[in-house]
Amino acid sequence: MAEYAKPLPEITAESRPFWEGCKRHQFLVQRCRACGARQHYPRGICAACWSDDLEWLPSAGRGTVYAFTVTYRTQARGFRDELPYVLAYVELEEGVQVLTNLVGGEPATLRIGMPVRVTFEDVSADVSIPRFTPA
Amino acid sequence: MKNLRDKYCLVGVGETEYSRGSNRTTRALAVEAVRAAILDAGLTASDVDGMLDYQSGDSTLANHVAPDLGIRLNFYMDVMGGGSSTEALIGLAMGAIEAGMCNTLAIYRSMNGYSEFRIGGTGARAAQPVRGLDLAQVPFGMRSAGQNFAPTFLRHMYEYGTTSEQVAHVKVAHSKHASQNPKALLKDRVTVQDVVGSRWIVKPLHLLDCCLETDNATCLIVTTAERARDCRQRPVSIMGVAGRVSKPRLDFHWAHGPITRVAGYYAKDIVFGQAGIGPEDVDVTGSYDAFTFTTMLQLEEYGFCKKGEGGQYVSSGVIELGGRRPNNTAGGHLCEGYTHGMSMVIENVRQLRGTVDDYCPKAAEGVHTYDYAPGRCRQVKDAEIAMNLGWAMPPLGSALIMRR
Repeated sequence: MAEYAKPLPEITAESRPFWEGCKRHQFLVQRCRACGARQHYPRGICAACWSDDLEWLPSAGRGTVYAFTVTYRTQARGFRDELPYVLAYVELEEGVQVLTNLVGGEPATLRIGMPVRVTFEDVSADVSIPRFTPA
Repeated sequence: MKNLRDKYCLVGVGETEYSRGSNRTTRALAVEAVRAAILDAGLTASDVDGMLDYQSGDSTLANHVAPDLGIRLNFYMDVMGGGSSTEALIGLAMGAIEAGMCNTLAIYRSMNGYSEFRIGGTGARAAQPVRGLDLAQVPFGMRSAGQNFAPTFLRHMYEYGTTSEQVAHVKVAHSKHASQNPKALLKDRVTVQDVVGSRWIVKPLHLLDCCLETDNATCLIVTTAERARDCRQRPVSIMGVAGRVSKPRLDFHWAHGPITRVAGYYAKDIVFGQAGIGPEDVDVTGSYDAFTFTTMLQLEEYGFCKKGEGGQYVSSGVIELGGRRPNNTAGGHLCEGYTHGMSMVIENVRQLRGTVDDYCPKAAEGVHTYDYAPGRCRQVKDAEIAMNLGWAMPPLGSALIMRR
């Protein structure tokens, strides 16, 4: 595997199951067994009712673009070489929003509301990064 | 909530030169700015017994700045924070006096924001470890404030039809104001075409939609209305303050409520409620211009126009000198220099005193021509009430209302 130049996520106790899901190419969303609330990015407790009783719901990986921005200039390591690149908030069918990159489409063709699906980039032995691409 | 309207005053303001290469330490810069503000108030080292400052690991703390000035402190705190800290610390200063911990405070911000620690992960900051919220952002290449805010701006354009040309008027207005300000880094007036014709940085932000990283230090002096009467300058009374008010789920605000909503939605009732006035009563605003869009979004959210009509509001001429309610009359962060909000409060204090430091020969005595041609006057005639809208990010902001 070629060396990956971008920063890797630091995997914490709270986010480990999420990143392990990504490794299996499965996008997991936290769901509270007590109140049913769903949340992403992973947290230690349910932010809605404070229950510790959280489970992991596999997402279908489909959603729509809520908002995005095209970066033309950055000092971010590994990203400098692929300008312009797209940061987006994607609204999953499961009801949570995800900060991600949109890949595989010309920036000029991207639109708010367009359907997208998840795709995973295997960047190291332990980490796969979830990004989204036009569906 | 408790109301301390008119019980506290801003009595001194001061700053260093705004530059892009100070060749000085943040300690030296802070000392110069604090000294200037205390002298402006007509006070001495022994009159100041409290100190507050804010920084993000990029500055010198009060335990060095106060001793350099021979100030013995009864209270101080060094606070983490950037934009929107100014107004919040003014409120905390009032609280410290109210609690009986001290009598008069200096609030400072000192940074080599261009030559040392740059916003956006460049300069010395690039070497710092990734932690906290960054863990969820950095793997996707989100490092800068512009990237963080831009989805809010784009969605506002999508929902309300706001255009780049409308928002460019914020830069146009602030450049007009900076042309009357000897301190400003950029004194040349620009056009809408200059802004929308400049290169993309982070879409929908062009280069000229972005503020100027700057080396500088700034300072404000807060004391009681009673002590203010003995100070050198006409006191400016604090009518209301809201400090670092946040949207729900501050870290992922865009997923919990409209992304186009900013913190002012929650702050406005606090600050206007204390002051007992509404937006129509305000003569001058200082809406934080990290980017052109941030000024627009806050003016809209605080009710200076209807939600969604911010683009029309900022392009109507109302925010320019000579308009009904000028914004950032010193040129703001887009043109004067970047201070994390301090300069906008300093400017509004001077506006309310009637002694803005423009090119009028007798400006310091309060004699102005009100001729807003380039290189002349930037004093607003008979300004009585000023409001600052402090911005940290879309879900976090502060506000301050002052009167002469």
